[in-house]
Amino acid sequence: MENELFTVQGSVSGTGDYTLDSDLLQATVTYIRIPRGLKAKIWTKRIAGEAADVAIRFTPDVTAPSPTWKNLDVQKLASAGEISLEKRRPIVIHGFTGNEAFKITRLTGTGNSYITLEVEISEE
Amino acid sequence: MGWKVDKLLVQENGFLTCYMPALNRALVFRVKCRVNREPVFNYGPLPLTAGETLPTFEGGSVTVPAGGVMPARAYTPTGRSFPMPGAYDETDMWYVPEDYRERVFHVIQKITPSFLRVDVQIPTGVTQGRFQKDKIVTGVDASLGFSRGTIETVHLPRLHYGYRWANDTNLSVYSSVRFTYGEYVVETPKDASLIFDILTRRVQSHWISLPINVLDPSIESALMLTYGFTGFPVYGIHQRDQALKEYNELIKRVKV
Repeated sequence: MENELFTVQGSVSGTGDYTLDSDLLQATVTYIRIPRGLKAKIWTKRIAGEAADVAIRFTPDVTAPSPTWKNLDVQKLASAGEISLEKRRPIVIHGFTGNEAFKITRLTGTGNSYITLEVEISEE
Repeated sequence: MGWKVDKLLVQENGFLTCYMPALNRALVFRVKCRVNREPVFNYGPLPLTAGETLPTFEGGSVTVPAGGVMPARAYTPTGRSFPMPGAYDETDMWYVPEDYRERVFHVIQKITPSFLRVDVQIPTGVTQGRFQKDKIVTGVDASLGFSRGTIETVHLPRLHYGYRWANDTNLSVYSSVRFTYGEYVVETPKDASLIFDILTRRVQSHWISLPINVLDPSIESALMLTYGFTGFPVYGIHQRDQALKEYNELIKRVKV
């Protein structure tokens, strides 16, 4: 398959999961499930708004009654403003079973926070 | 961009071979010309209608929220065709009757987003994917027997093909389809030796294995009406004499 690269925008007020949206999406989501055999690559991450600790979190089974999420990456926006992170190598998340998923969570902070991700779904 | 898509299609005076596994036979065409100089057609969204319901991988159903949106975790159980106003059959832009026998459509369908699953039913309603003979029926609703984002096929006259799609993510996505296609004017080579060389892969030909593992009666009927035979049997390289004898007989019946 050809790789699919798309932009995901998210927002949250206070702590919790970012609500994710994209030009490809008809409805918002709080996590992205990775198809079996494919990978999700997060190439860039931009965080804006109030200070925040922002985590990319992963679960091996989003279909479980209470999925367990672990942090793959945490970024700190120390004060209100904006930070842009271009990755020379992406954060890679494998879809081995088709039940894996990732989400973006604001661990600390108050007020509004925004993120923008460049996500690629690919076979390689 | 043109040179890239041209590489996907058969050039004038090239050969196109359509192999059908259920018959172990193949149609062999010489492409006399490609009628369409601009082979890219941005069709638009997948033919999914707002309000219709689709089954889900979890065993339930979901409503298509807007035209062209592939809902999360859903699949189309029966193949769909692509409507086009003004076409011979306005419900299926790739369908032509048998008297278009000198025309063949070579179609590469590219879907956005490319992680959507796709397969094709020939004819519509007949799922062709199989694993271990007939032990398991495969396809977009199974764990194997589909591709993602792109599917290449040849549309033969008098057969409706049905495309199926599936979305195994949790994202309800807007969709888009781009066709790269060739409307070829074709003829069957009348030289049995050349056909043998093509089918033993000693002469270069663009070889497409049509996913025909289940022989629906409409397939043989369409082939007979359109071409006057059901294709050339594929022989081994050591069976040249037997092959040439049969090919010479078949060539007498070929309608195009």
